[in-house]
Amino acid sequence: MKMSEPTDVSKLSNLLLASLVIPSAFLGLTFVLHPGVGEGTLVRFANSMLTSFTMISFLLLLTLFVYGDARKRPMAPFLGMLLCGLFGTALSLFFLSQGDLLMEDNGSVRAQALSNIIRFSTTVIACAIAALIVLGMLFASLMHTPPARLEFEEE
Amino acid sequence: MEESLQAFFLFWLAGLAIIVGLMLGFFSKQSPIRRFGMVLLTVGTLSILATPWTLSFSPSSAFGHFLGSILGPSVLLGVGLYNIAFSGHVPVGRLSESDKRAGFVMVLIAMLWFEGMHWWVLTPTYPDEINRYWLIFWPTLLLVTASASFVVYYIVKTVGDERYQEQRLLLTLFAFTSLLIILGLLRDGPHVESNHFAEEFWLAGADVFGLMVGAALAILLFALVLSIYEAQQPLPKQLDPPTSQQLEKAAKHIAKHVGGVNEDE
Repeated sequence: MKMSEPTDVSKLSNLLLASLVIPSAFLGLTFVLHPGVGEGTLVRFANSMLTSFTMISFLLLLTLFVYGDARKRPMAPFLGMLLCGLFGTALSLFFLSQGDLLMEDNGSVRAQALSNIIRFSTTVIACAIAALIVLGMLFASLMHTPPARLEFEEE
Repeated sequence: MEESLQAFFLFWLAGLAIIVGLMLGFFSKQSPIRRFGMVLLTVGTLSILATPWTLSFSPSSAFGHFLGSILGPSVLLGVGLYNIAFSGHVPVGRLSESDKRAGFVMVLIAMLWFEGMHWWVLTPTYPDEINRYWLIFWPTLLLVTASASFVVYYIVKTVGDERYQEQRLLLTLFAFTSLLIILGLLRDGPHVESNHFAEEFWLAGADVFGLMVGAALAILLFALVLSIYEAQQPLPKQLDPPTSQQLEKAAKHIAKHVGGVNEDE
C-alpha cells in the first residue's frame, strides 16, 4: 500500500515544530549540563517581548509611509499603528515601574528601558548575521549548481 | 555640553538616524531620498562606532565598541559570500575564479576571527572586562544559526528538487554550530567560562523567543489595523452592463481577429 503524501498543512506544522524543537533542545541540553541556569529567564523573556513589540510596531509605522503612497496617504492605519507603538511603550514603562517585576541590573526605569533597546539591537544584529551565514551559503551553493538540462524522450 | 545631552545626540539620535536611513534607503522610490537615507545610515553608524572615544563616560559606549569589534569579520563574511555566489552560474557580471578563491579565504578568515573571539585572545574587552554585548551576541548567533540552518534544510528538503548538495551543506553547518554550542557548554575559553557561557546561552534563548513572540504580535496587529481600514473603504463604482450596440460592436471586432482553423493547417 502506498503511503499518503504529506499535506501542505502537515508540512507547515512540521516546519513550525522544527523551528521550535531545535532551540528548545539546545536550551534543554544547557539546563541538563548546567542546572544552575535559569535565574531571571521570565524577566528577560518579558522585557524582550515588550521591547520587540514596541520597536517593531514603530518600524511597521514607518513602512506605512510607503503604503500611504499607494493609498493616498490615509491617516487611519497610521494612527492605529501609532497607538500600538505607544501602547507597547506605556505597557513597558508600567511594568518596569512596578518594583522589581521587570527590573534587571539597572538602577532606574529609564536605564532599564534603554538597556532593553540596546540588548534588542544586539539580538537583531546576531539574527541578521545568522541569516547572512545560512542564506548566503545556500545561495552560493545554488549558484554553483549547473543549470538543469531538459531531456526529451526520443520520438 | 551636558553628558546626557551628549549621549542623546551621539548615541540615541545616531541610532534613530540608522533606522530612518535604512528605511529610506531601501523603501523610497526616489533616488535623492535613497541617497539621503544612505548618508544618514553612514553618519549614524560612524557616530555609534566612535562612542568609545566620544562618550567614554557612558555605559552605552560598550555597544559602539562591540559594533567595532564585529565589523571586520562581518564585512569579510558578507563580501566573501558575495564573491563565492557571483562567481557561479551567473549570466551577467560573473566574477572570476580568483574572486571566488578570495571569497573562500575571506569566509574562512571571518569564521576563524569569530572563533578566536571566543576561544582565543581576540575576545572584545571594554574597558577592562569582557564586553557584555559580545556575551549576548555570540550565544545568540550560535543558537539562531543552528536553528535556522536546520529549518532551511527542512524547507530545501520539502520544496527543492534534487537539491542534495544544499541539504548536505546545511546539515554540515547545523552540525558545526551544534558542536560549537556543545564545546562552549563543556569547556572553558581563555576569557569566558563554560558556566558563564551557559547562563548567557540560556538568556539568549529567552531573548530570541521574546523577540519572536513580540514581533509576531506586532505584525498581527499591523495586519488587523490594515484589514480594518481596507474593510471600511467604499466599494469601487460598478459599471453599467454593456448595451446591445456595444455587444454587437465587440462581436464584430472579435470575429475580425479570431478565425476558424482549417483542418489542412
